[in-house]
Formats: sequence, structure tokens, C-alpha cells
Amino acid sequence: MDFKFDVMIMSGVEDGSVLKYNSGSGDGQTSAHKWTLTIGRRDDNDVCLRNDTYISRQHAKLHYENAVWQLEDCNSTNGTFIENPANSFEDTRVNGTIPLQIGQLFRVGRTWLRIQISE
Amino acid sequence: MSTIPLRDILISARQEAYRMRHFYLGVEHLFIALLEIKGGLASSIMEGHGLATEYVIDAIRRKVGKGSRHRLWAGIPNTPRTEVVLAIANELAVETSRKEISEQDLLIAILEENENIPVRVLRILNQDIAELTKEARTKVNTNNAQQAFVKIDYGPHFNRNEALSEQHLLVLRRMFYGYDEIRVERRLTGGYTKALVLVVTPINSDQREDAAVVVKIDQADIILDEAQRYDTNVKASLPPFSARLVDRPTAPEKSDFAGIKYTFVGNDTASSKDMRFVAAALGAPKLADWLKNGLFPLFGKTWWQQRRPYRFQAWREYDGILPPILTLELVDEKEVPANAHLLKMPIKRSRLKQLEYGDIVLIENFTVSKVYRDRKAIQLAAAQGSDAATAYKIEMRGIDLDKDAYYRGEVVERIAGKVWKTRHEHLITAARTLEPDFDINAEFIPSGLDSPARLQNPLNFYDTLLETSVNGSLSKIHGDLHLGNLLLGPGDNPSLIDFAQTRDGHTVFDWITLEISLLSDLIMPAVGSEWQDARKLLKYLQALNKREALPPGDSKLAELFSVIQAVRDIAQECLTDAEDWSEYFVGMTLCGLRALTWDTMSIGTRRLMFMLAALSLAYSQPSQKAAAPSPDATEIGDNTAGQG
Repeated sequence: MDFKFDVMIMSGVEDGSVLKYNSGSGDGQTSAHKWTLTIGRRDDNDVCLRNDTYISRQHAKLHYENAVWQLEDCNSTNGTFIENPANSFEDTRVNGTIPLQIGQLFRVGRTWLRIQISE
Repeated sequence: MSTIPLRDILISARQEAYRMRHFYLGVEHLFIALLEIKGGLASSIMEGHGLATEYVIDAIRRKVGKGSRHRLWAGIPNTPRTEVVLAIANELAVETSRKEISEQDLLIAILEENENIPVRVLRILNQDIAELTKEARTKVNTNNAQQAFVKIDYGPHFNRNEALSEQHLLVLRRMFYGYDEIRVERRLTGGYTKALVLVVTPINSDQREDAAVVVKIDQADIILDEAQRYDTNVKASLPPFSARLVDRPTAPEKSDFAGIKYTFVGNDTASSKDMRFVAAALGAPKLADWLKNGLFPLFGKTWWQQRRPYRFQAWREYDGILPPILTLELVDEKEVPANAHLLKMPIKRSRLKQLEYGDIVLIENFTVSKVYRDRKAIQLAAAQGSDAATAYKIEMRGIDLDKDAYYRGEVVERIAGKVWKTRHEHLITAARTLEPDFDINAEFIPSGLDSPARLQNPLNFYDTLLETSVNGSLSKIHGDLHLGNLLLGPGDNPSLIDFAQTRDGHTVFDWITLEISLLSDLIMPAVGSEWQDARKLLKYLQALNKREALPPGDSKLAELFSVIQAVRDIAQECLTDAEDWSEYFVGMTLCGLRALTWDTMSIGTRRLMFMLAALSLAYSQPSQKAAAPSPDATEIGDNTAGQG
């Protein structure tokens, strides 16, 4: 089965851009039942964000397995974050891999992103 | 409707983008440009919801963060989302056959797009976006809206010599919009802060009086923070029948000030009185009982009795209460010599002490803790997270806020300044105004006690003390527990107001603050204002410290000290080790020094504070149970020490 999902950029110079991914057209890496998209500043990332100098060359990964998304920080210099309900101005840093909801905001470097169902 | 052309809004938005080093035009810049229009639609809607324009701008800047110094592209491109918003705004203009997008079109478009950063921040600030959109669609020109006239009268207890300022009256009228008249009963605090706290009775058009409320008016960002803090931190921890925050804060757009109201739940606030006002009339024994058996048990469970173990270096909790470590004048980074002093965490206090007037200091990775728009200055502090006490405050003057945006919580990578004043100069200057009858630079000062006759001069030792490890505990604390913030409610119910400083902090801090307030408001005025009067009280304090009988001969004073004894009894329950008072006296030394700089305190009290700091310093070492010398003999280094 092919997986189709969008990533929307939620801040910065590309705020509002929608990046479309389809495992059927060779986006990301598929192994068994797992689909992985990489995020980083380098060109060979699936989600390539050149305009944020706070993003590492290889910054984070998105994993999709059994209809569940997970977010993994790849030891990035400036961190991967999710929103902190207790204090909206101090985001929570992601250590390792955490589950991620569709539509939930997360931040790599200074750039906020979210996964959404492909339109 | 406003006739500000779109072109001007876009120019203003681009300036914001430059100030934040973003180099793109995002929806956040458009929204800030709309907020910056004086008397504009966006700011008047925000005001209607109790949000000061500057506060919203600050929140957006905090959420977005400043961009990097490196430009990665040319020009200032619109973000894709900005294009979407402009397209929506354009449709709105076309619908109403206007040639150009108006301020209102743009505001509605931003709110309808619904996913942009300003909308996300407004949700964080508990705003209903659908409601705001409706208002933006229907609100007519409010530029010249008639000022609602609320008549202001004064009760018999209001001191008319302390007239309220125009700014204060403006906020008051706005807060009680809808009433015919209000009666200002009295001021609650003489106040160590600039806040104005009043008891106000609102009066309806049929002359019916509603329950009185406590009104606090202060700088808008302080008030709005207090309201946020109350919601997240305080509300759930209050006992029933306590003072509560009512309504939204009121922040008139034309004013730098804002106001909030506190009231009692289901009770009549008219009969509640602040302790500063009634303490003397109540009498010391009753006050002591009220503190120990009323206030402490009622709030204790959710506040001071949390007592999570907390071992910390004193500076973490107490550096921030002292004057700024440095006051600097901004210097362009290009003018910074290679050998400039570098200041970054961890701070080396010994290096700090060497700094002198005119030295150039380069500061790295400090956090903006305050923005003083009126003084063109910012306050920086060592970053510790927003809920922690601030440490290592630095005031930087000469900042052009039109050119560079600064927002609270921003981490400033590098900024340089020339030393204008050090903390030590601040404290020495404050001590000189007390006209000491001794040398304030000397190592020892005369104590007036039988023994020891001399005490270490706290002005020479606070630095060392800040490095001391304190074996304490962490609880929810009020943060400014002076008599004016204690209310005697209906049925003598105890209550607290003013939660601007409420945080998780050193448990005994509140009781140190209250002891100082009692000494200042209740005891020192009964004795006098000379150095000899301060030294007389020091004998009483020493007796309390040593848990000995009070000096004989003055039964009135002894009765007043029963209130201090009550505070000490409460404090003892808050100590980590009930036999080790060092954590209390470390805090007391530093709080006493802080009070030196409070010019709202009488000169007599400040003299007492200096002596109190010196005495407390002598008790600030952990007691050594095995050796068990009397605490005042341990660190005096004086010939007279040693008996115990």
C-alpha cells in the first residue's frame, strides 16, 4: 500500500508551504511496514529546510508504522521540540523518539511543522 | 473606518521584520503592524479583551524568536501564508467594491486564515478567534468613541493628599465601565512596588452599592503576566473563601497601565481589610494568633508545606532581589576591544568585583527579563526558565527600541556595554544615605549588643554569602508576603492578594519577607528612627535568634515582638532541619540588604535593615550540632566571640 501524507511549514520564510510525500513515488524509505521521512538542512533529506540555520544537516526523522506517527530527534544541535501545555513559551525538547499526532505542531530548529492528511 | 492605506501597513510590517531579523514578510509582521496603528481596529479589539497591545506584540515575538544575523536570500519575500491572507483580504475588498484592502479586511483575513502564528498566540492568551472575527466584522470606528464617564468619589479613609494620577483614573474609569459611580475607599499599600492597590466600591445608577473589590493598577505587562500566572499557578491552590481574581484585566490602549480586580468569593469584600491598615488596631496577640492559626494552616497545605528538598547556592534564589549586578550603557559591538570583560554563565563573582566605571563588558547568552520602553533600557538576566527567580540582573541603557526589537524571554547571543554603575556602588550609595555613625567600608561595624560588640559588615560579605550552599526546600510561595498583601476577610478569614511574584521558590522566603514587613510597619515606628533605636531592636532580635528571654523593661515592645515570634514559629515548621536556622538567616541577610535600596521605606527602618542584615549574617552558617557553639560565635572572627 502506498502512503500519502503532507507536511505543512507553520513558521518562517516558508510559512504556509505544503510539501507532499508519497511512498509510491519513492519518497522516504519504506521497510516492511515502516515508512521513514528525514528532515534536515542538507539537500538529500525528504523534508529539506535550507532557510533555517538552526536546523542541523540531518536533524530529525518521521516514522509511520501501524497508522501511528513517531518523531525522532537525530541528536540535532539546536533540538527538536513539541508544544508545552504548561508554558506555551517554553517548548518541550524531544529526546529520542516520541509519538506524534496528525496536526500536532513540532519544531525543528526555529521552524514549526505539522503532518496533515494529504488533500 | 480607518483610512490607513495598505502601503503604510506593509511598510510598518517590513520594519517589524527587520527589527526581528526575519527578512521575510510573515502574517505575524502584518498583525503587529495592525496592532501598532494608534487607535486602530486591532488594538481596540485587543483592549476590549483585556490585552494591552504591547503585551500581544511581546507574546508574538517570544513565540517566533529572533532570526539569525545571516541573510540567506535577497529582499523581503512574502511567505506563502501571507499570500493566502492577502488574497482573502483582497476578496473582502472586492466584495464591498473597494479598490484597496483596508485595515479591517486585513484583520478579518488574518483571523479567518486561522492557522497563522498571531492566531496561535491569541489562542494561547485564551482568546476565542470566532468571537474576535465577529467583532472585527461588526466593530465600527472606535477612534473617537466617547469616554464612558464614571464618577469617582473618595471615602473617608482615603488620604486625599495622595491624589491619583490621570493614568490611574483612566484605568479605573475603564475598569468600572457600566457603573455610574465608584467610591475609592482607601489605598491598600504604601507599596515597595509601583503598584497602586485600592479598595473600591462600585455604585449602580439606582445608587445600589455592589460588593467592594480590591483593585491593583500597575505597568500593563506586569498586570497581564499576573493574570496569566494566576490562571496557571495560583487559582487551583487557593482555599475556598479567599480573594480571587475577577473579570479580565483592563488594559486601555492609550495607557501604559492596566488594572485587575480581586474579590472575595460569595462574601462581602466591604468588610475585608488589609493588615497594614488594621494590624495596630488588632493588637499584637490577636495578629500573632491570626498568622499562626489562621493564615498558615489555611494556605499551608497547598503552599508552604509542600517542602520538596532543595539544596541550592544562595544566588539562585536571592541574587535577583538585590540591585542589578551592573548598569551598562550600550556600546556598538564594533567598538568592543579584544580584552573586554566577558560575562557568561557560569559567572565568576571574583571577576565581577573587579569591574569599574567605564570598563567595557561583553555579555553572552543572557535572557531579556524586562523591556523598559519609557527609559530606552532592557534588563537582562541569567537564563533559568521563566518560572524561576531571576539572577544576575543587568540593566542595559541606551537601547533604540525602534531599531532593535527586544522581547521578554529572548536569549541575546552577544551585547556589549560600558559600566555605569556596579551593584556595590548601588548598595554603598544606599547605605550612605542612612548617615551611618560608623565607617561603612570597615570590616566590622558596632553592634550595640552586649556581645558581640562588633558584627561583620554585610556590605563586604554578601558576595561570599551568595555562593553559600543552602540546605532548604522548595514550595509554592507568594513571593511578596508583606502586610499590605494580607487581607483580613469577613469573619476574620485570612486571604492573600497580589500574585505577581508567586512561584516555586525557597519556602521560608515568604516568612522572611513578612518578618521584615512587621519590623518595618509595626515595630520600628513604635520605637524611633535613629541608629540607637535600630540597635535597641537588634537586642530583641538577637534574643529571638538565641531563643532566650527578651530584654526586660519594655512590655509594650515585648508584646509587639510576640508577632515576630509567631512568624519564627511558622518559619520553624518550614525549615528543612528545625534546629538549623541558617537557611532563614542567609535569606534574611540578603533581604535586609535589598531593603536598603527601598526609598519607600522610612530611614529608621532602613537603618534597622542594615543592622538586621549584619546580625543575620552572623547566624547564616549551618549550626554544627556536635561542637554546638552559639551561632553568633562561629563566624564573627572577633575577640569577644567564643562564649556560648
